[in-house]
Amino acid sequence: MPQTLESSRFGTLEIADRAVIEFPAGLIGVGGRRFALLTRQEDSAFRWLHELDGSDLALPVTDPFAFFPDYELQVADADAARIGLDDPAAAEVYAIVRAADSLEDFSVNLLAPILIHDGMGHQVINEAPRAPVRVPLLAGLAERAA
Amino acid sequence: MLMITRRPGERIMIGDDVSIEIVEVTGSTVRIGITAPRATPVYREELWERVKQENEDAARVDPDRLEGLAPKEKE
Repeated sequence: MPQTLESSRFGTLEIADRAVIEFPAGLIGVGGRRFALLTRQEDSAFRWLHELDGSDLALPVTDPFAFFPDYELQVADADAARIGLDDPAAAEVYAIVRAADSLEDFSVNLLAPILIHDGMGHQVINEAPRAPVRVPLLAGLAERAA
Repeated sequence: MLMITRRPGERIMIGDDVSIEIVEVTGSTVRIGITAPRATPVYREELWERVKQENEDAARVDPDRLEGLAPKEKE
């Protein structure tokens, strides 16, 4: 049965059961247990990871590989086991975006991406080198263009 | 804050499921072994703090500002 989400940012939305993503450990430091990925504009590079149980917590996310073609993700075996993921490559990967007044000043968190697989979500610590917690969103594309 | 004195090889239990062992003390460095249930993530505090801060900052954004600037995504 779909549930109704009352969001201060998005208004009232119907969330289908299959769109619900369980985060057993919540997001690091900010909690939340059940989220949905919302698309506000079809052609946007950004989606919203929105909490469903009334906290109104919502974070913009993006596909890190679209902005950082060389992005590497290494998940510790213990983390992979904890989230029941034999192969992290099987998961959808999202990076949390920190927006600013202009796109040039946006940053993205490559250190602690979100993995989503089979209706379950986890924020993990990326053990790959060169995965900063705050890197300019466009840095990867600029590097490639140079 | 609870203060406990332990020697190398001794442990502390937090509830029934989390155990912390003092493995080795060398000068000002302490090696600690942690056993926790799969569902309980363990982080170095400074790393946890940085990620928490980024999550909080990211959550403060006004969607109109974000979407207005969004580049087109190629499928």
